[in-house]
Amino acid sequence: MKQFRFHAAASVVLAAAMALAGCSGGGGTEPAKSGGEPAGNASGGQGGGQQVTLSMHSWRVEDTEGYKQIIKAFEADNPNIKIEFKPFKATEYNTILNTALQSDSGPDILQLRPYAPGVSLAEAGYLEPLDGVAGISSFPKDVLAAATGKDGKVYGVPLSLNSTQFYYNKKIFEENGLKEPKSWDELIATSKALKEKGIVPISFGAKEGWLLSLSHGVIAPASYNSDYLDKLQKGESDLKSPEFLGSVQRMQELIPYFPENYVGLELNDMRTLFATGKAAMFINGSFELEGIKKLNPDLQLDFFPMPTDDGKAVITTWVDGSYAVNSKSKHKQEATKFMEFMATKKFGELFANQFKRISAVPGVTTDDPLVNKMAELSQSSSTPYLMVVHFAEGKPTTKQTLENALQGMYLGKMSPEQVVDEVQKSAATWYPPFKK
Amino acid sequence: MGVISTFERPTIRPKGRARWLIHLFPIPALIVYGLFVVYPIISAFLYSLYDWDGIKRGVFVGLKNFVTLFTVEPFNEMFWNAFGHNVYYFIIEMIVQNGIAFGLAFLIYRKIRGSSFLKIAYFMPRLLSVIVIGFLWKLILNPNYGALNTLLTKIGLEEWAKPWLGDPDTALLAIILINCWFGIGFAMLIFLAGLQSIPEELIEAARLDGARGISLLWKIILPLCMPSITIMTIFTFIQAFEAFELVYAMQGSMGEPFRSTDTLAVYFYRLAFSSAGGAGDVSVGLGSALAVVLFFIVASVSALSLYLMRKREVQH
Amino acid sequence: MRTSVGGRAAQYVLAYLFMLISLYPIVLMIASSFKTNMQIFENPLSLLPTAFSLDTYRKLWEVVPFADFLMNSIFVSVMSVLLITVFSAMAAFYLARFSYKWTGVLYFFFLLGLMIPIKLGLVPLFILMKNLGLLNSLWSLILIYTASGIPISVFILTGFFRTLPVELEEAARIDGCNHFQVFWRVLLPLIRPALATVVIINFIHAWNDFFFPLIFIQSDALKTIPVGMMVLFGEYETDWSLLFAGLTLSALPMIGVFLMASRQFMEGLTAGAVK
Repeated sequence: MKQFRFHAAASVVLAAAMALAGCSGGGGTEPAKSGGEPAGNASGGQGGGQQVTLSMHSWRVEDTEGYKQIIKAFEADNPNIKIEFKPFKATEYNTILNTALQSDSGPDILQLRPYAPGVSLAEAGYLEPLDGVAGISSFPKDVLAAATGKDGKVYGVPLSLNSTQFYYNKKIFEENGLKEPKSWDELIATSKALKEKGIVPISFGAKEGWLLSLSHGVIAPASYNSDYLDKLQKGESDLKSPEFLGSVQRMQELIPYFPENYVGLELNDMRTLFATGKAAMFINGSFELEGIKKLNPDLQLDFFPMPTDDGKAVITTWVDGSYAVNSKSKHKQEATKFMEFMATKKFGELFANQFKRISAVPGVTTDDPLVNKMAELSQSSSTPYLMVVHFAEGKPTTKQTLENALQGMYLGKMSPEQVVDEVQKSAATWYPPFKK
Repeated sequence: MGVISTFERPTIRPKGRARWLIHLFPIPALIVYGLFVVYPIISAFLYSLYDWDGIKRGVFVGLKNFVTLFTVEPFNEMFWNAFGHNVYYFIIEMIVQNGIAFGLAFLIYRKIRGSSFLKIAYFMPRLLSVIVIGFLWKLILNPNYGALNTLLTKIGLEEWAKPWLGDPDTALLAIILINCWFGIGFAMLIFLAGLQSIPEELIEAARLDGARGISLLWKIILPLCMPSITIMTIFTFIQAFEAFELVYAMQGSMGEPFRSTDTLAVYFYRLAFSSAGGAGDVSVGLGSALAVVLFFIVASVSALSLYLMRKREVQH
Repeated sequence: MRTSVGGRAAQYVLAYLFMLISLYPIVLMIASSFKTNMQIFENPLSLLPTAFSLDTYRKLWEVVPFADFLMNSIFVSVMSVLLITVFSAMAAFYLARFSYKWTGVLYFFFLLGLMIPIKLGLVPLFILMKNLGLLNSLWSLILIYTASGIPISVFILTGFFRTLPVELEEAARIDGCNHFQVFWRVLLPLIRPALATVVIINFIHAWNDFFFPLIFIQSDALKTIPVGMMVLFGEYETDWSLLFAGLTLSALPMIGVFLMASRQFMEGLTAGAVK
């Protein structure tokens, strides 16, 4: 009898599989089921008083604990809405989100990459316009630009402003009688002095491309000003201009002040070198602040904005991920409630203090002096992160082209001239002002 | 060589009333395999015929994606760059992994003390997840505090210390060698199987004819091992041309540094799924076209080698 | 074949040197999990932790639901291996023992699966799973692993079945057994080594895969070990001893299973696969 039982079991499995496959034949008409919902909760959410569970995707695995606190505050005011925060590693986030969206089963709420990449999801029809959300209008227009589609509608509530700058170790600077550099030449002189003392001047690594365009974003504004940016956007100048070429040449000029074997270093290594006091300066974003402090809470940390050739000092800023609502969500109303919450000052303050970052909500300050200083400078003297704000399109994107070319330059395979050639070639394929 | 050939073997003619029942045997495997492997792959192949920029399917465009893949910069450049790396992957694995594996199999075949322990030890790396391997080797190869550079410095070979994974001259090679480390145990067992299937009498006879050492190995043993060598060659070829997970776990989807570790499968991943976020840099159509090309490369070469092997067998 | 004493010594040196290369990183991983972060940083090579401490494991247990990950991994691996083995053995029996017009074509159809990386079909596969209601379910993984494990298993088992003499079955049939009885009682016990090979190969694959759980599983409670570890890497990227402890715990069950089944497995590979 053994074999019969086995055979029967096998056919049951098969019959079930076929039946399931059969059901799906009619697809399309049935409402999309939220992929994030835990089993058993699927029927909730029709009536107003019922408990609704929203799923929320993000690429900030590091922030899991903090988001739990923020969500708790929201749930306390909205007892019938529960939010499940599901972070994925940044490197896999895009794949997971796109796969889910393509089969109409994405999360209710999703974190949106800033500018062109995120906006492209709206153009594909996956996002709900949020112009009507209370509080949206309180954001400045250039902040909303990070999630505004070509149709002029707003598709995301901005989360935070990012800034990039030179972090430095105050103790090392003081011990060696060094001050914040006020010009490019002073930066080079400072680096030289540190190198002679046997200290690594700048913690830097070329293994991860995104950090190269990020560093370029900090260094480049030293050699161009807003004039150039205007011309660029009118198509009167391009990326082979002396200004842009100069910025790439300066990236090259810094090579002697990088750590040994810098071509093989990743963010982890760079952060460790800086936090353990082996390197004096570290080019990175406001979002690194927490990580550096976690690694060494006693580090005497400060930062300086980039000194420019026309005697100013700027930090590079952009709007980091916004949060958006999936247009296929079954619980748009509840998700919109959370969007409203994200536009409030209460959320801004919770966020800023939880993560030590600059909230996008206007007028929010934190209890961290460095974050406040960054926030002030972003208002008073900032320049946009060119590659993210204007050049994150193309296949591969112009930003990625720059990253690859800079890597080539650091490996001695490309000259700065070749780098800007490549970048211009990529931008020319899609950047509207260049196509005129 | 029962695996490949021999439909000529004596088979059974089913008899009796319940004769049709025998046809139920392959059905479960066929359904699961058809539904969850063949069907998705065929659908993906159909995608290659559509204009599918971003993540929404556009119109039918015939072979345009294939033309783009081979004629438009930078797609064609990236294709040939990655293709070259796959070929390199195959060559190094053949020489290093299969060479060493054959040597070790030969040692064990010649009876070495502790051979059952050695077999287990060689196979051990194969048990680890790529996630584990990638992380472990990244630490070992870390330029500044990794075990390898520390070791080189200690034994006075400081100038050999390198940023292994950051240098385009060594990054791909390092990954392939890690893959060899991972795969030697399996290859060794396949070769050992081949060696052990050689009839003793043949070797005895050759020895009586005066064959010794290298000439015995070269003229008698290697030819008799051809079936297992062919199978391992095909496995290695498939593996090399589908190389993805280890590269991805160690260097990400951009083939960094400077595209020196890009492979066709990594390139596919980059085309089919966004690396910048959103949908702007995605082209499912192009990615699927690349997948079709990749499939035909692997399938045609594997099928050809199987055919050649079978032909040779028939001649014997 | 005779070899000189020197040659023989060289052979031993080589064989055991490669054993060291194979095992060293694994032993290093286990040893590092008992070290502190400082010890790893200062002395990355050493295999002996200066102070033996289980604190890291205690912490690991607190920060991730490792027991959940473990149960999920076991469920997925065991179910997939079971289905693969049963389905493939049935198909291989049919392919090896009966000769119809379509047998060759069918065999080739299964072999094609060896050459296709199933990742190429990720998007259609995702839509299919959604329509079957299997997103965020361990069954999606089981079905994918079963489907993708069938080609290699059919390949190995068909080869093995063909090495068995037909006379055995004829004898069983004369005794009045039907096909199912022949398959179940006579042949399956004879191909045990090949089954062990199939079990191990597929178990390794199902246990270690991180790609599909990443895409198909969203809820924490359903994560398998490799994906759980990836989350751990993201959150504690600089806490090396914790990461090593996680890596060790994720590899140990696999190593245990292998050691238990290794004899059968080796026999299966060497006796059946490529005869």
